[in-house]
Amino acid sequence: MAIFDIIGPVMIGPSSSHTAGANRIGYMAALCYGSPFHSVEIKLYNSFASTGFGHGTDRAIVAGLLGFKMDDERIPHAFEIAKKRHLSYNFRKSYKRDHHPNEVRIVFNRGSNHSFLIRGVSIGAGKAKITQVQDDDVEFGGDHAILLLNYQDITGMIGFIGGVLGKYKVNVAYMKSSRNALIGTAMAMLKLDEECPQDAIEELKRHSDIHRVISIRKLNNEY
Amino acid sequence: MSIKEIPNRIRIRSTQDIRHYLKSYPFKGLTDFFMEYESRNRLLPKTEVYKRMQSTLIVMKESIAKGKAKVNRTPSGLINGGCHTFLNNMPNTIHLMGEWFNTVIANTLAVSELNACMGRIVATPTAGACGVMPGAFLTICDKFSIPEDKQIQSLFIAGGMGELIQINASLSGSQHGCQAEVGSASAITASAIVALFEVSLDKIENAAALAMSNLLGLVCDPVAGLVEFPCVHRNIVGSVNAIACAQMALAGLTSPIPFDEVVSAMKQIGDDLPASLKETSRGGLAITPTGLRIQRKVRDEDPEKAY
Ligand code: SF4
Repeated sequence: MAIFDIIGPVMIGPSSSHTAGANRIGYMAALCYGSPFHSVEIKLYNSFASTGFGHGTDRAIVAGLLGFKMDDERIPHAFEIAKKRHLSYNFRKSYKRDHHPNEVRIVFNRGSNHSFLIRGVSIGAGKAKITQVQDDDVEFGGDHAILLLNYQDITGMIGFIGGVLGKYKVNVAYMKSSRNALIGTAMAMLKLDEECPQDAIEELKRHSDIHRVISIRKLNNEY
Repeated sequence: MSIKEIPNRIRIRSTQDIRHYLKSYPFKGLTDFFMEYESRNRLLPKTEVYKRMQSTLIVMKESIAKGKAKVNRTPSGLINGGCHTFLNNMPNTIHLMGEWFNTVIANTLAVSELNACMGRIVATPTAGACGVMPGAFLTICDKFSIPEDKQIQSLFIAGGMGELIQINASLSGSQHGCQAEVGSASAITASAIVALFEVSLDKIENAAALAMSNLLGLVCDPVAGLVEFPCVHRNIVGSVNAIACAQMALAGLTSPIPFDEVVSAMKQIGDDLPASLKETSRGGLAITPTGLRIQRKVRDEDPEKAY
């Protein structure tokens, strides 16, 4: 946090957490998904579910998915714009104590057998975090550029990833890895000072044991 | 004493730290200190930092004009053209204090209502309290025809004071009640107003300490969980209080309890407040019979309540 979090951010009202933060979850989710989409299912939890309507939480999320940032005056009209752009969405609500008070689950659907799940929480002052991507537990806001990898849980993968990043002189600020023993995959989440170069991403993607590479730029100074 | 080079990262926890930095390093005054602070911590050049504050100021000014330009209404009915009515009725209403007092009320209402109606505002420090800075500070800038550069400089100082609150307590109603939102807004606005006329850290600190002290204990109890009532009207308390405290500080009055200690008191009170009075709408005005009736009406009108 710093001075522009005090005098700012510039945002569409009425609520830092329920409007701006919600918008940011939608925005980051679309960046994570990374491809065009036409159908999403959105589930609002707890406080988002009970007061979301009055705070425009629903429109703010759809606006974020459309690529509108928290200061975009199109947010109140997000539903009409979504219709024009052939984005269909539906909302569900859930009240569960074991979920964050301001949580959203977004599922991107394509056809009948492709779906992609992203979960995020709004943590106040217009800030938000993505907490889940598909089966992987993650945690990132917009403070760093992010690289998310999902790969087969075999030896040498971290070394390979480190090698590629080193080759492209990518500086890693933070890294976390974990495995999903059930399905034999592992994931690594890296926080970077600069966005990962496209060539490095392509090289990582070419490795046959890497299933998914997601790269997101740093968002903080854009708001 | 030898003057050292400004370090790459500036960390502050108290006004004492600020004084120490100002004494030990070659900053060109308080505004420069906070600009360096922002520039170094965000890895942005100082010119960029300045430009960003400039564009933020423009949005803040626009928010007054936009809020006044239309009749603001929300689906709940809690916001029902208040600013519009206020301005319309003014010619036939007794003016209790001068013209400018009414302008402070109207400008604060305009921005707070605009926020409630999904308009574009500057969250200073939060969306719920966004009417205070434009309502009090910008109205005074207008009254005294303050040059833009001076306004920007004062906003950096206000932001710096807010940063201390953020670091040592919080700015969120859900954590520390409305004293952290409207209370903090009022405190930093008071410091910005003082800074327009005198860049004296002592006076700036006194104004902020008095403003925050006056609003300690303020609870967060929004009706139907919406940032509408009492939020919008509470912003006016923040504005008027900011001006009064700035006026007192400029006239040499001091706060017996220093700013840093007032902020700790705010945190302690906020921690002690029950959850029912921290943005959960389970206490205060939110659970009055009328408050609950409005809440039921709002939830019934939610077109998505079916799922
Ligand atoms: S009452 Fe609560 S929601 Fe309203 S302005 Fe104060 S802190 Fe924000």
